[in-house]
Amino acid sequence: MLLPRFEYHQPASLDEAVEVLGQYAGEAAVLAGGTDLLVNMKHQAMAPSHLVSLAGVEGLDQASADGGRVTVGPLMSAAVLAQSEFIAANAGALALGAAVLGSPQVRTRATVGGNVCNARPAADMSVPLLALGARAVLTGPDGQRQVDLEEFFVGPGQTVRAPGELLSALEMDAPAPGTGWGYQKLGLRKALEISLVNVAAALSLEDDGKTIKAARVALGAVAPTPILAPGAAEVLVGQAAGGDVFKAAGQKAAADAKPIDDHRGSAWYRREMVAVLTARALNQAWARAQGQ
Amino acid sequence: MAKEIIELIVNGDRYEVAVEPWRTLAEVLREDLNLTGTKIGCNQGDCGACTVLMEGRSVSSCLTLAAEAHQREIVTIEGLAQGPEDLHPLQEAFVEHGAVQCGYCTPGMILSAKHLLDHNPTPSEQEIRQGLSGNLCRCTGYSKIVEAIGAAAAKMAPAGEGE
Repeated sequence: MLLPRFEYHQPASLDEAVEVLGQYAGEAAVLAGGTDLLVNMKHQAMAPSHLVSLAGVEGLDQASADGGRVTVGPLMSAAVLAQSEFIAANAGALALGAAVLGSPQVRTRATVGGNVCNARPAADMSVPLLALGARAVLTGPDGQRQVDLEEFFVGPGQTVRAPGELLSALEMDAPAPGTGWGYQKLGLRKALEISLVNVAAALSLEDDGKTIKAARVALGAVAPTPILAPGAAEVLVGQAAGGDVFKAAGQKAAADAKPIDDHRGSAWYRREMVAVLTARALNQAWARAQGQ
Repeated sequence: MAKEIIELIVNGDRYEVAVEPWRTLAEVLREDLNLTGTKIGCNQGDCGACTVLMEGRSVSSCLTLAAEAHQREIVTIEGLAQGPEDLHPLQEAFVEHGAVQCGYCTPGMILSAKHLLDHNPTPSEQEIRQGLSGNLCRCTGYSKIVEAIGAAAAKMAPAGEGE
């Protein structure tokens, strides 16, 4: 399996990258870590005639916090995100998802921007980012726009990103004090796995350390895109955190899920597992929220 | 499209190579630099036979464009032994524990093990198995490989931390 031929571009700045991408829009693909793109090209599922590498663009592999806003660079690798203390403290769900993506070799190269733009329904970093309330910052020839991640995903492999646009950052609000995160991934094996179901949860407690102030639950592999479970969040807010309310949230999340039968598992089983994994992810988030 | 000249730093040596952009690091290491210790197995990032270290971290060289490795430090299996009689402790342990059968997965296994021990010098058995989760072996059943890595870790650990 050899790669098909293409022209390779390595712009040195974001502006230049947008310019090159605009020039070949429709025929060009953006190369970040390449762990999905190059596999797809080897399988001839994609044959872009131009690859625009982001390896030469400075500053896309950094995270920062500024005025209540956390920014994650799209070129940050899963390995870096999984080990970053900054990410663990400010966007913990993302670190948890990054740590269980693929294999060590894949984690070295795979980037969060690639994971989001490839828009797989079970993506290990996209589901946590949904729970974190992340926004995609898209830079194109007409400037920048922000899209909430829940509107960014359109279908399997499809997003609202235009062919001439680049995902230049992921942004989210800084976590409130007393926030914790959980991530649960269920597969048939323990590594190099695409989830049967994956669930990310973010939970913020009131100052009393018990009452749930805010909650977001995101589900993977149970709809054409990663989705939020608004029903789960609704039953949580205002309640005292604990096993019973987490179970109830799990039932609501199962109702929000829209799974299908496929070779990885049946819709019925997936729905059952959404309930179980949601409760587990919330318990995990609760433990971390109390630890702060 | 014209070839581009790239510079690779492989096992401490600098190489200038003219490569077409669609060639992978694995292909260039094997075909242009004659470093055939790096194997190509599945060629799609599943089997780990092509594992090399880039800037100290393990990567699948079959899923890394050579152009993306420009001016990066690469370590292949050829870079581990100090001489023909002076194997790296991981290589010695693989020999001593019978962790090599057909040998095809061995270079990748050893480089994944090196990545693991460089980041975690005293791994548990579970951590060793997780460290090898991107490498397939169809001969040994993994037990000997896991034992060898544990033994190498004990030998390499700073005094007082080993067994």
